[in-house]
Amino acid sequence: MKSYQITESIEKAVRDFIVCRDWLWFTIWLLGILIIWIWNLIFLNAPALRQIENGFINTIVIAIMVIVFAAGLSWGTTLLDDFLHRRFARLQIGLTFLINLIRSVPQIVGTLLGYVLLTILMQNRIVTSEAAILISMALVIAFFLFLEIFDLLRERITHFRRLDFYDAMLVCGISEQYIINREIILRSSPMHIINKLIGIFGAAIFLLCSVDFIISVGLSTQISPVDLPVTLGSLLAKIDSKQDILAIGHALTHWNYFPNLPFEHLQGITVAILIVFTLLCIYQIANGYGRRHHL
Amino acid sequence: MIYDIQIKTDQRTLVDIEDFELNPGKLTLLLGESGIGKTLISRAIFGLLPDAEMSITINKRSYAEYLASDECHEIQSRGFFVFQEPSSHLNPLMTLSEQLNEGVIEDASSNRKILKDLFPALSESDLYHLLGIYPKPYRPSGGEKQRILIAMAFKKMALLRGSDAVFIFDEPTGNLDNVYRNIFLRMLIAAYKSVPLTTLLITHDYSMISELLATPSGAMKQIEFKELRISDNHQKQVAFSTESYLNWLKSLNPASPSIQSSREPVLMLQPEIEVFNRKLIISSDIKGRDVSPLEIFAGDAVYLKAASGVGKTTVAKIIMGLQPAERFSMILDNRTHDESTPGSVWRRNIWAKRMSMVFQHADEALNLNGKVKDIFRGLPLSQRSDPDFLKRTLATVFDRHIAATFLEMPVAFLSGGQKQRLNLIRALILEPDILILDEPFNGLDFNTMQRILNLLQELQKKGKSFLIISHNEEIIDRFVSSERIYYLHRQTDIKGET
Repeated sequence: MKSYQITESIEKAVRDFIVCRDWLWFTIWLLGILIIWIWNLIFLNAPALRQIENGFINTIVIAIMVIVFAAGLSWGTTLLDDFLHRRFARLQIGLTFLINLIRSVPQIVGTLLGYVLLTILMQNRIVTSEAAILISMALVIAFFLFLEIFDLLRERITHFRRLDFYDAMLVCGISEQYIINREIILRSSPMHIINKLIGIFGAAIFLLCSVDFIISVGLSTQISPVDLPVTLGSLLAKIDSKQDILAIGHALTHWNYFPNLPFEHLQGITVAILIVFTLLCIYQIANGYGRRHHL
Repeated sequence: MIYDIQIKTDQRTLVDIEDFELNPGKLTLLLGESGIGKTLISRAIFGLLPDAEMSITINKRSYAEYLASDECHEIQSRGFFVFQEPSSHLNPLMTLSEQLNEGVIEDASSNRKILKDLFPALSESDLYHLLGIYPKPYRPSGGEKQRILIAMAFKKMALLRGSDAVFIFDEPTGNLDNVYRNIFLRMLIAAYKSVPLTTLLITHDYSMISELLATPSGAMKQIEFKELRISDNHQKQVAFSTESYLNWLKSLNPASPSIQSSREPVLMLQPEIEVFNRKLIISSDIKGRDVSPLEIFAGDAVYLKAASGVGKTTVAKIIMGLQPAERFSMILDNRTHDESTPGSVWRRNIWAKRMSMVFQHADEALNLNGKVKDIFRGLPLSQRSDPDFLKRTLATVFDRHIAATFLEMPVAFLSGGQKQRLNLIRALILEPDILILDEPFNGLDFNTMQRILNLLQELQKKGKSFLIISHNEEIIDRFVSSERIYYLHRQTDIKGET
């Protein structure tokens, strides 16, 4: 590579970094998390810090699992839908009805219902380990989010079916499964799918935090949020955090109280900032990614 | 005028030519396969490229400097550019008439004769109606829009008597059939004879050559035939030998001049087809009197002709089971297939085994998101992933040694001609018994056309057959014996629609 090509490549990378802003916001997010963690490391007591660390990691792990499950569910449903469309059109109506049934349930209500099911499973000691609970929570959320990717995949397949390239491949003996999986989904839609998955990641964190906050009132007489792995949502629902959040309101009317917030009300404020800051960054990353790939 | 032009994007070099020549006062016919930079070069000279999106230098000057130069202002103010896609030129908020008489060409006195020549089939009232409409939502046809743009160019030519100016016609006949194409060429020569303006006529329609050569010798001296070629990302403008083209054309003969009438056809398509509420008729004569089934024999090459928009591609898709028809019938391998035959029959028994098809637009027929090697993945061939096999196969249509890096090249980065070659070879490699070729020479240069025709004739000798749809009549008329030509007509509107 010649020197001017290297310079051009660096210039392009820097320009993209600033203009597209996806990597910029990812960097901002990482730096922000790092700064918050260092601040907490210095000023927050160790047990509370450990809880925040666990809550943050659990939330991110669940959101990542939601992405994986949602991608798998949507891919499987797309293939099934396409298969029924080609071979058994009547059965496709049934599948469409089921899909629309899921669609008709508000995501937050659906997730709450999923938690009820999870509670029953926990009560009956079918789901016991923390890993199994985490996976179950991710599955529940993914079940009410996967339709977003399913709709995208179906839209992409419909779009490409209208083009000559689909027919041109068919008449060359290339199977429809190959065309859909390799040519449309893997080769022609990864940017669209990744963009949607970034959105799903954000939606998963939002849903998880919202539901965990809501269920802080309790799930059943035997099972309470304490039995579930700690997340940012459940941390926010703790009485300490609630008081910390109330302190922000107090500071708004008593400005001289502001300096106390990052020292005396660190747990609640950290959790709130982590949630809001993460969602803001994900929103910006998704937008930047769309801009980079002209979606 | 010699131009040294470089056009680059962030990702690659689009144009790199050191000696693009535009001779003053000459009519230059610039040939070459599509997508190698003819349009970009001409737009760069005319100052029409988006500077912000590309890095452009012209004669060692930045594009901003070139745009500010008197030379560029002169070209833009005195010349005219006819775009290959007329929709992008016309303003949807103004009627065609308003646009035809806008700016320096506002004088409508010359309209009548120019329009009458360009629209010979329209009466005065029809023409009046056409000019009164807006490009959107009424949507005049591509051919009508293109002729309006050509009329604008001719009006401006008439204004510039005695002066030098640059007129660029970028694929001006892309939306015209051969009749209108020839009218345009005759008008261009006539206008050029009266005032020899610098004119660049860009095309990859090689059959224009014969039409231009038929013009009186006086004008011929002023016509230059050039070809743009590309090698290792560098463009080169070379003189095109019309003699070698015409000699090749003369030497072109059908591989199977006579069909053994005793043999059974491999495919027989009944002459009456109903689709989109319209009835299409196949005949063996141009006027549609001798209605007869379209028969394809082993080793045959059949040419299906029709005016633009009648439904040649639709018929091809019906044969391939891709387009449902209200009524049709064909016999393939002694089995009748009609509108009630389920699509799975084609999937199981016909596609790639008995028949295949090459679609007319390579850009749409190939997945531009893949690499060259990916074009062959998924084909029902055991060697589809073998790089040596792929290189050998590609070498049959690319006139150069195929490097391993070429297999890794993104399809989107290839020129239009290269894409068309991939489009063709993907179907040819399968060697189906019948191959439908829909505009197989779209965007190909002369050398590649020769290679493809040789390849088709070799396959014919192996007993493979072709149904060809092409507007390139001059070449296909010689490739296919005259008795193997069929004509498609739209007979009636079944439901009285127009």
